[in-house]
Amino acid sequence: MEPPKERVKFIQTDLVLPYHYYAGDYKALYLRALKDKKILGSKCSATGKVFVPPLMSSPDAHAPCEEIVELPDKGIVTTFCVVNVPVYGRDIELPYVVASVALDGADVSIYGLVQECKAEDVEMGTRVQAVWKPDGERQGDHTDIKYFKPTGEPKAPLESFIHRL
Amino acid sequence: MSKLRNVAIVGFAQAPIVADDPHRTAPEMLYPVVKQALKNANVERKDIDYQCAGSSDYIDGRAFSFSQVMEVMGAWPPVQDSHVEMDAIWAAHLVWVKMQAEECDTAIIAGFGKVSEGSPMHVLNLQLDPFYHASLGLDHVSTSALQASAYMAKAGVDDAGLAEVAARNRAAGAKNPDTQLRQAVSAAELQKTPFVTSPLREGYLPPIGETATCLVLAAEGKAEKMCDKPVWIHGVDHRIELQTIGARDLTSSASTKLAAKNAFAMAGVKGVNDAQVVELGSTTPVEELILRDALGLSSGLGGKADGPVVNPSGSPLCANPLMNTGLLRLAEGFRQLSGRAGERAVSGAKRAVVHASAGHCLQQNIVWVLGTERRWA
Amino acid sequence: MSRAVAVVGVGQTHHASKQPDVNCAEMVRIAIDKALLDAGLSHEDIDAIVLGKAPDPLEGIMQPEQYLAGALGAHMKPIIRVHTAGSVGCTTALTAATHVASGLYGRVLTVAFEKQSEGNAMWALSPNYAFTPPMVAGAGGFFAPYCRAYIMRSGAPSHIGAVVAANARENAGRNEHAHLREPITVEDVLASPMLWDPIRFLETCPSSDGAIAIVMANEELAKKGPRKPAWLKAGATFTEPMYVPGRDQVSPLAGRTCAKHVYAKAGIKDPWNEIQVAEFYVPFSWYEPMWLENLGFAPLNEGWKVVDRGDQKFGRHLPVNPSGGVLNTNPIGASGMLRFGEAALQVMGRAGEHQVPGVKTALGHAYGGGAQYFSIAILSTEL
Repeated sequence: MEPPKERVKFIQTDLVLPYHYYAGDYKALYLRALKDKKILGSKCSATGKVFVPPLMSSPDAHAPCEEIVELPDKGIVTTFCVVNVPVYGRDIELPYVVASVALDGADVSIYGLVQECKAEDVEMGTRVQAVWKPDGERQGDHTDIKYFKPTGEPKAPLESFIHRL
Repeated sequence: MSKLRNVAIVGFAQAPIVADDPHRTAPEMLYPVVKQALKNANVERKDIDYQCAGSSDYIDGRAFSFSQVMEVMGAWPPVQDSHVEMDAIWAAHLVWVKMQAEECDTAIIAGFGKVSEGSPMHVLNLQLDPFYHASLGLDHVSTSALQASAYMAKAGVDDAGLAEVAARNRAAGAKNPDTQLRQAVSAAELQKTPFVTSPLREGYLPPIGETATCLVLAAEGKAEKMCDKPVWIHGVDHRIELQTIGARDLTSSASTKLAAKNAFAMAGVKGVNDAQVVELGSTTPVEELILRDALGLSSGLGGKADGPVVNPSGSPLCANPLMNTGLLRLAEGFRQLSGRAGERAVSGAKRAVVHASAGHCLQQNIVWVLGTERRWA
Repeated sequence: MSRAVAVVGVGQTHHASKQPDVNCAEMVRIAIDKALLDAGLSHEDIDAIVLGKAPDPLEGIMQPEQYLAGALGAHMKPIIRVHTAGSVGCTTALTAATHVASGLYGRVLTVAFEKQSEGNAMWALSPNYAFTPPMVAGAGGFFAPYCRAYIMRSGAPSHIGAVVAANARENAGRNEHAHLREPITVEDVLASPMLWDPIRFLETCPSSDGAIAIVMANEELAKKGPRKPAWLKAGATFTEPMYVPGRDQVSPLAGRTCAKHVYAKAGIKDPWNEIQVAEFYVPFSWYEPMWLENLGFAPLNEGWKVVDRGDQKFGRHLPVNPSGGVLNTNPIGASGMLRFGEAALQVMGRAGEHQVPGVKTALGHAYGGGAQYFSIAILSTEL
């Protein structure tokens, strides 16, 4: 190989680092249930607050959350943004809505896409429902919920969700 | 040395050290450990002033990895907090400095690292100079092997000598219920294990392992209420050297020597032989020999071991859960001096010297002196 | 704090999206040499080093303090490495201050840097974690919903974000080190593409290469220095978990607690009237009114009114980010230390063209994570 004629200004290193991540038993339970169109949470033994996906312990009370509860696949858009810029590793038609969705009965919200409506029709307080992948296609991962869609129900009042952003 | 604040270790807990825990994520491993450490120190989370964790994003394969454990530290309402991208023993040092500054009286220190999820061989290569060393594909075993060859040539130590050191640690590890490798193996058997990178054999290297740890520190006035036998910090110092493998003498550890000198002066001791227990963060037999030289201990090769008991825990050769390995050395000092070392207790131990290391070929080193009595009146 | 701590030297590189003429070691060295020169000191005078930076994957070097030990002048010295997300720069400076306050170290060098151009920042900052619901939106997308909630809750008019961005750029024009200095108008900002509605392109921070170094000393040594030092009156870091039911992500409790704590320590009862200049960590323009409230400079939901009146502009009641701030210069790990260092320079009366006249007390602030990690420092002309 010929030595470089120009001064070397940088070296290019393409790192390949193998990782295999454990879900942990709580997340594994949650992911497995998605396959059956079920959303699981865990309940804090001290406060009764419900976390979704289920946590082993509550960050606020520092207490175990061993009780697993099932949650409906309906909830409220607590807040959201409209994405107009391509995101690394994502292939979704622009613009799209990413929302914080507080499922009914949950005390923290999860992220999800909101589709089957115009971006400008999404509001803080819009009631939504999960749209699942069809039977046989669900793999037990987060993409089993394809997105959320508006239910057409009346908008939830601000005070019902402002503390569940 | 001017008078410093007396600070003590008052509690410790760890998860079992295992090759991999497929059931728990890093924060899930840490949660019960934090709860247990608080219980061991007879304290509620709300009575702790400060928390500091030690971990690495690359070990865990996620940026901001430490933010996951914020969920399990009992950090609500909001708490005073920090994190070092280092072995948690340096988090313990930072907390001790903070206590000297009278910025806190009680603190928890957490270590975690989900080592099994990644590949230490690949990851630790990234610690090296990206232009000259990392690009050669060196990893921690190959740099340790370079160091081992150099030391063996200089000191006239052979393969049997390495096996003897490793076997001694394995025998000690067999008595430590909290370590990973708990079977004694003879030097002869270890010498039959295959080379990983010559001159280092499989039997001379630590297993891959992971855990989560939590140590509780408290200043005088609070420490006594939290622990029946608080273990007091008498002195500590840490130093780093240049990384460049070719620019330093790999056969000795100048930074350990200086850190030890400063820690001994702070503790008011003449040298390492004033201690009954020494716990070293050596991950190969050669590192142990180099550290023995640096601290002024006899090598003990050929059955001539005298002076303090070295590595009663079995050393990192029996368990090397990255980012926790150092803190576990401090924990061994605490266990030995507070009557919590079970079968492996060194009888009559009143003072311990604890060492831990970071980087390739003992680049960065910390030395502590611990005692059963307060250092400063 | 048991012993007085002073800033005696500050040095920073220029900041740019790419610094291809230097490697990491050379870049930190430029900042360090400037800081030492500023303090009239050399490496022999330094007892310990505290390095801070954000995730290692930004440069692809694990625990770079080991590789950089030589460049940092750390050979045979103590060095520690802090990482507390976006707040890290300010937290690192406070960690160095703790070292001095302990009485164990007379002078401490603290350094923060980021050379984002060398790694893949999008990967490092917004990785697709296994088993965690994907956010599908990137860094701006994470904070945009909270800005929206702020707008909803406070009733702020939509031009406020653009006013902040244009003012920050005007300020950056007076800062020779700033990354983005070309003037922009409110109309330019409003006309720029909406990236993460409600956040527009010109309301977001850039990605920068840059470094800053600060020398701190104890009282005795600080008084020997060639310059008027900036005294650290108070500093603290507070953190909260992400998944706390009812957590206020718009005005996080950790930020409010941290501010209350440092004001009490510094004897400040009325920050709006007792502090003359503030450097907040504002990566997206809406965070300026949000932090005005969170840090107690304005009542809840009224931070935007300060911006609307222009009271936070250069030359007005409380200049915020006279350096141009994170919106115009963002070497992530260094951004928080730049806030601390700029506050110190204002107190020392050496901020150059962006010096605010008559500064007695200044505030430096940084935050990070999902608005969870807060770090605040109060610097003063008086011991």
